[in-house]
Amino acid sequence: MKLFLTFFVVLFTLGSVQAQEDSTWNETLDETIVTATRSDRKWSSLPMPVTVIKKEQIRQMGALRLNDVLTEQTGLLMVNDHGTGVQVQGFDPDYTLILIDGEPLIGRTSGTLDLSRIAVGNIKQIEIVKGPSSSLYGSEALAGVINIITDKSNGTNTDLSVRYGSNNTADVSLNSQFRKKALSAGLFVNRYSSGGYDLTPEQIGATVSPFRNYTVQSKVAYAFSPESSLMLNARISDESQNAFANIGTSEFPDVVSGVSTLKDFNLNPTFKTSFGEKVKLTARYYISNYQTNNILNKETDNSVYDKTFFRQTFRRPELQTDFTLSENQFLIVGIGMIDESVEATRYEGIKRYNTKYAFLQHEFFLKSKTQFITGLRYDAHNAYRNQFSPKFSASHELNDMITLRGSAGVGYKAPDFRQLFLNFTNSVAGYSVFGSQEVNQRLVELQKTNQILDILIDTSTFGELAPESSLSVNLGTVIKLKSGYLATANLFRNDIRNLIETQPVARKVNGQNVFSYQNLREVFTQGVELDVNKKYEFNKNTLNVSVGYQYLEAKDRSVLENIKAGNAFRRNPETLETERIQKSDYFGLMGRSRHSANVKFFYTSPEGISASFRTIYRGKYGFGDLNGNNIADVQNEFVKGYLLVNTSLGYNFKQWDFQAGIDNLTNFRNPQFIPTLPGRIFWTTIRYRISQSNPQKF
Amino acid sequence: MKIIKILPIAAILFMGLSSCEDTAVGKQEPVVANTVENLPADVGQGFDPVTGRPQFSGKFTLYSFKDNTIVPTSDSASANWDIGFKGTTIITNSGVSGPGKGGAYVTNGIFSEMKSLDASVSFTADSNGSLAVPTGSGKGWYSYNPQNNEIIPIAGKVILVRTADGNFAKMEILSYYKDRPTLITPTTAGRYYTFRYIYQPDGSKTFE
Repeated sequence: MKLFLTFFVVLFTLGSVQAQEDSTWNETLDETIVTATRSDRKWSSLPMPVTVIKKEQIRQMGALRLNDVLTEQTGLLMVNDHGTGVQVQGFDPDYTLILIDGEPLIGRTSGTLDLSRIAVGNIKQIEIVKGPSSSLYGSEALAGVINIITDKSNGTNTDLSVRYGSNNTADVSLNSQFRKKALSAGLFVNRYSSGGYDLTPEQIGATVSPFRNYTVQSKVAYAFSPESSLMLNARISDESQNAFANIGTSEFPDVVSGVSTLKDFNLNPTFKTSFGEKVKLTARYYISNYQTNNILNKETDNSVYDKTFFRQTFRRPELQTDFTLSENQFLIVGIGMIDESVEATRYEGIKRYNTKYAFLQHEFFLKSKTQFITGLRYDAHNAYRNQFSPKFSASHELNDMITLRGSAGVGYKAPDFRQLFLNFTNSVAGYSVFGSQEVNQRLVELQKTNQILDILIDTSTFGELAPESSLSVNLGTVIKLKSGYLATANLFRNDIRNLIETQPVARKVNGQNVFSYQNLREVFTQGVELDVNKKYEFNKNTLNVSVGYQYLEAKDRSVLENIKAGNAFRRNPETLETERIQKSDYFGLMGRSRHSANVKFFYTSPEGISASFRTIYRGKYGFGDLNGNNIADVQNEFVKGYLLVNTSLGYNFKQWDFQAGIDNLTNFRNPQFIPTLPGRIFWTTIRYRISQSNPQKF
Repeated sequence: MKIIKILPIAAILFMGLSSCEDTAVGKQEPVVANTVENLPADVGQGFDPVTGRPQFSGKFTLYSFKDNTIVPTSDSASANWDIGFKGTTIITNSGVSGPGKGGAYVTNGIFSEMKSLDASVSFTADSNGSLAVPTGSGKGWYSYNPQNNEIIPIAGKVILVRTADGNFAKMEILSYYKDRPTLITPTTAGRYYTFRYIYQPDGSKTFE
């Protein structure tokens, strides 16, 4: 609290100093953001913390997939657990909603939506809203919302790009836009493939096996009249990867191999019409289907070793009405229904669930300097108690230099299919994971067949899983200085109740564990995020320099209580003496870095030369408990902090773009804890643009 | 200020010293304080030729606190032993495990700070399906780390034991691995206990 107070005292002091007429500075302030209100709003006017990443920056980075882009942003940390997910404000990837053009992507494994599924070649901008401050999004948007806005066609042009790099990684993209009178259309086709890599050649099987991915995305829009229009967005993604594993020992290998495939399909028709100036109606339907298939055969006799599938379908009709109540008041009212089903090897039969919801969001501009957004959302779930989520945010322009903004909201997340119904045994490693509804029965079955060595936790005492919920507060400021600096600061605090975590509940005779899910009572995350931007211009050269930093604390309340009561201990490994753990010994939840930072330079010259140099630092974080007290407190329980350096150089010549770069310049590797980091990568891209000026080629 | 702080400490020291003297001049035998190293607890006997898994005898290693020695398994039906070890399972000479007056109670704290048994300690005897020292990771004396298959004695767990003849002892398990190595590897031999204990032979509930 003290920190918050000091922060605002400083701000008001700064605010009382009258700012001088400002010159041209960073364009960020004028960026149009749609995620927070589903209508175009200026970045600078929004009361919640929003980050926007533009196409030019994505291109200059030479990014291929969404995780490449997000990993370089302040406060976003990549987490590798069955794919690369994003940690926002200390929340696991499960709590961030990933949208493409406002519609949610589905298909999570172990809670992670693998960001590498998403190509970035047709992205206009990426909008990141932190905190559960928008009532427009439901249960998954606890930590925030990442909305990928794809190119809109406002002309006729085509881009063709080819990129090749280390590890035989190739990417070919076609991005085409067409517009004629009331009809506009867009098509994006991408093929991405890699030969993979092996960081541990002494072990059988590659760290990342060869894979290829196709993405096709199309957009068609037709305006019947100035009032009414119909849009149809479609996206297909198809990925396949070789699988290879040793189920024997290193001495006597028994190799299994096969293919795993992933198909992802989305279709989204939207109809918009307006009744006069003041009422706008949007009807949208969204259907998404996600499926994976895995097969592993024994190489010795080609017999099927393991065969699994997973199919998820998400259907959502939604009706939204936008009212312009007055010059300075806007109201959005919406209702919708989500119907989800899952069918998989890991579930018994088809599991369905259903949510009906209604939301309301009111924007109120008080004079020109103050804005309030009030939101309410009600979700009625067929399997859980209904959830009411109020939200409130406000911004106030103190003077020309300083804008204050704050938001508070309740977010929730219902237990997902996996946490309820999963019935999974990994045939290679031999461990099992059971949903809370399944675990008691499955354990009895395993005990009957003598597969259980001992029970670690009595699961019958768990009871039914409760939905997770959080109360979040964000307080921040935007400071623009006459000298061209743009700084944003945001203090955040999230109090999360009933967090669901995986727990080992029994040991099997094969030495592996049986896991299930449990509500971990209370956790909080808090911290501060700082960003400073400065744009230098000299003789039409521009240099953008940005520095970002996040301080994060994420802690379990029961651990803190234990420490306070003197009931947390550890043993000195040398002397074997037991000592009490002090508050300062407790680093916090696993996988959370206290410090993370980035420094980025983007340069463009009038001759068409561009360059970038980006460094990303991630401070140390706990990976697991080794000394039996369930917390990360001693040296060998941490992954050391590390620094990554990425560079790129580009040259634009007429319709041609040439680009080359080195990612991970210092060749940093950590095969044990960060297997997704392949070491130094060289790459080069050629892009050819056919623009409006010569449409005959299109 | 400093003087005020030091005085109580001096007083405690003095009291501590005088109480030691009391027991020394009295007729009672002194407390037995020992650290036992590498006590084998049903160490594997070769490997099953079919499954390749280690084979175990299934027998407990029995121990007497009073005599500070291993008691032969053939004496299991006697009151000569106080505590038994087999893998991670610990039994006391009580209930279903033996004919003695034994029992145990697992508590949290620092071994050296536990000078006596307070009223909250309630000993239980071994019964079918529920041992006085509970089995399972995080439930009794150890936690199991699935990442590296390690058995780690939970720091701060003190096992209070009622011995076969009804006296009291406190014990702390320090290691489950041979020669209590600092770093445990997959090849480190497990099922070797290192523990320390203090046994009070006079029937009182103090450990000094």
